[in-house]
Amino acid sequence: MFWHNFKNDLKCCFREKSFLFWLILFPILLGTFFHLTMSDIYETDTIFETIPTAVVENKSNPAFKEIVNSVASEENALLSAEFTDEQSALQKLEDGDIEGIIYVDDKISLKVSPNGTSMKQTILKEFLDTYRINEAIIIDTMQNNPQNLETVITSLTTELDCNENIPLTDGNMDPYATFFYNLIAMVAFFGSVTGLHIAISNQANLSSIAARKCISPNNKFITILSNICASFVAQAVCVTISISFILFVLGEDLGDKTGMIYLSGITGSLTGVTFGFFIGSLGRLSEGVKNAIAMSVTMSCCFLSGLMMGDLKIIIENNLPWFNRINPAALISDMFYCLNVYNDYSLYAQKAITLLILSAIFITGGFLLTRRKKYASL
Amino acid sequence: MEKTVVKIENLVKRYKELIALDHFNLEIKEGEIFGLLGPNGSGKTTTINCLLSLLSFDKGNIEVFGEKMTPSNYNVKKQIGVIMQNVAVFDELTVFENIDYFCGLYIKDKALKKKYVQEAIEFTGLEDFVKFRPKKLSGGLLRRLNIACGIAHKPKLIILDEPTVAVDPQSRNKILEGIAELNRQGATVIYTSHYMEEVEQLCTRIAIMDKGKNIAIGTKDELKKMIKNTETINIEILDLESQIREKIENLPHVYETKYENNKLTVFCGGGKHNLVRVLGVLSDNEVSFGRVYSELPTLNDVFLEITGKELRDKED
Repeated sequence: MFWHNFKNDLKCCFREKSFLFWLILFPILLGTFFHLTMSDIYETDTIFETIPTAVVENKSNPAFKEIVNSVASEENALLSAEFTDEQSALQKLEDGDIEGIIYVDDKISLKVSPNGTSMKQTILKEFLDTYRINEAIIIDTMQNNPQNLETVITSLTTELDCNENIPLTDGNMDPYATFFYNLIAMVAFFGSVTGLHIAISNQANLSSIAARKCISPNNKFITILSNICASFVAQAVCVTISISFILFVLGEDLGDKTGMIYLSGITGSLTGVTFGFFIGSLGRLSEGVKNAIAMSVTMSCCFLSGLMMGDLKIIIENNLPWFNRINPAALISDMFYCLNVYNDYSLYAQKAITLLILSAIFITGGFLLTRRKKYASL
Repeated sequence: MEKTVVKIENLVKRYKELIALDHFNLEIKEGEIFGLLGPNGSGKTTTINCLLSLLSFDKGNIEVFGEKMTPSNYNVKKQIGVIMQNVAVFDELTVFENIDYFCGLYIKDKALKKKYVQEAIEFTGLEDFVKFRPKKLSGGLLRRLNIACGIAHKPKLIILDEPTVAVDPQSRNKILEGIAELNRQGATVIYTSHYMEEVEQLCTRIAIMDKGKNIAIGTKDELKKMIKNTETINIEILDLESQIREKIENLPHVYETKYENNKLTVFCGGGKHNLVRVLGVLSDNEVSFGRVYSELPTLNDVFLEITGKELRDKED
C-alpha cells in the first residue's frame, strides 16, 4: 500500500500546475532575473578591467616605454598600451576604444575623453603622477647623490605590501552568490506547498478525497508517511533542477563542493515538506487559508534570511539572533555559507542537524494533529 | 433468514446544541436497496458518516456485517464501497488512473485489480474517456467516474449519498440503472436522496427521515398505506357553487376538498371509482369543467401528512 500511495502522490505532484510553477518555473525565472541584474552590477562596480590606452611618442623616452610595457604585460594588467600616431589615437579616443592618450614629449601628459569612465581616467592620471614623481626622485638623486642611485631605484621598484592577502576559503566570496544561496533555500522551503497538501488530503473533515481514503481499509499512518516520502522526493527533484539550472545554465559559481550544495538543498526540502504538513494539520481552516499561511510564513522566512535584501539577515543577527537559529530559510542559506565562505564542516553539520530536528518536530506535530480517525463534524 | 448487513441502534449525534440524529434506529437486510429519504438537513449524510466511522457520535451502536464498526475494522471496511455526495477524485489523474488508484486501496493483486478497473469502466460507460482528466468531463460523466471509483473493488455493501445531485436526466437514468444492476449482482445498497421519484423507482425499502429521526419505514406501498389519502382528483372548473362542492364532500371516501384558482381538488381516502362519482355530481348539476386528472399518493404526500411540510425544498 505504501508504494501504491507513493506512486500516485508522486504522479499528482508533477502534474499539479501550481507545484510546477512555484517549485520549478518560479525559481528559474527568479534565478535568471538575479543573474541578469546582479552579475551586471557586480561586473560594473567590483571587477577591475584593464584600461585601454594609446601612447603617442613625439619624443623618445625609453625609460617610460619600458615602464609602460612592463605594466601592460603583467597579469591583470593595469593598462593595455598601444603605441601609435596622434591621428589614430584621437580617432580611437573618439570611438571610445580607449580611455585616454598619453603624450610622450618633453613632459608626459594625458588626454582623456569627456565620455570616458571617470574611475579609469583617475587611475590613468594617478599612474602618470606616480611616474612623474619617481622620475623626479631619480633625476634628483643622479644629480645630487649619485652614490645612492641604486638604493633609490631598488626602493622605488619594490612593492611595499603592508597587507598580506590570506584567502579564508577556496569557495566563492562573491557577495552576489548570497542571492543564489537564498534562492535555493526558498525553493527548498517551498516544499511547504506539497507538505500542506498531504495534510489536507488525509483529513476527512477537510477534503472529500481524504474521506474516501479514510474509509478504505488502510492504516492512516502508512498512507501519510508514503505521501510525505513522495512529496519529499518530488521536492528534492525540484531543488536539484534549480541548483543545476543555477550552476550549469546560468553558470553561477557556488563553490567547488557541488555534491554538498545538492545535499544542503535536499535537506532543506525535508524541512519544507514537513513544515507544510504541520501547517496543513493545524485546526479546521480551509485549504485556501492554510495555503495563504504556509506561503506567507515561507516568504517571510525567506525575506528575513536575506532573499530580497542581503543585509537583512545581519540586521536580524544583531537584533534577534535566536530567530536566525530556527529560521529554516536562514539555516539552509547558512549551510551554503558554511561550505563556501567559512569552510567549516562542523558548523555545517550543526545547521543540518538543526534542520533535521525542526523536520522531526514538524512531522511529529503533524502526525499528532492528524492522528484522529473520527471527526466531530465533516 | 436474510442476514442483517447494517444495524444501527439508538444513534445520537449532536453538533453543539443541534441534535442531528435523535435515537435513530435502522436495520438493513442483505440484498436490499434501502432508501434513506428526507429533506436537506434531515440527517441522512450524518447517518452515513457515522456508519462509515468518519464521524464520532454521542450514543448508540453500529454494526456492519455483524461486526462493530470502528475506524480500524479493515475487515468490514474492505467490503464497503462509498459514493460520496461530493465528487472525490484527483484532478491530476486521468479517469483510468483515478479508478485504478481507488481500486488499489482495496485490491492488492495486480491482475485482479486490472480486471476490476476495466469492469468498472465498462459498467459506468467511461470507455471513451479513460485518458481524460476529470476537469474535461461533463457533470454527468464526473458523477459516473465518482461511482466507478467507489464500486470498482466490487463491495458487498454500496453506500450512495445523493449521487445524482446536479446530474442531467440521461446520466441520472444511467446511474439508477447501474445501481439496480449492482444490486442484481448481489450488492446491498444504501441510497440517500431527497429526490422521492428516484427513491420510489429504485428502492425496495425506504426510511423517511426528518430532524434526525426515522419517522416511517417500509416498502413504498406500506408507506403509502400509512396515510389517509389514496387518490387526489384535480378538476378545472370556472365557477363552482358552494352547494355543489358540499355534495362532492358528502360522497363516500371523500374527506376533503379545496377550491382555489378555478381548480377543485378532491382528496379521497380509499374506495374505487372516486373520479366517476365526482364527475357524476358535476354532470348532474350541469357544471361545465375543463381538464381532469387524478394523482396517486407520493412519498411526498406521506411526508406531508406525517410532518406537515413538503419533502422537497421549493428550489429543488
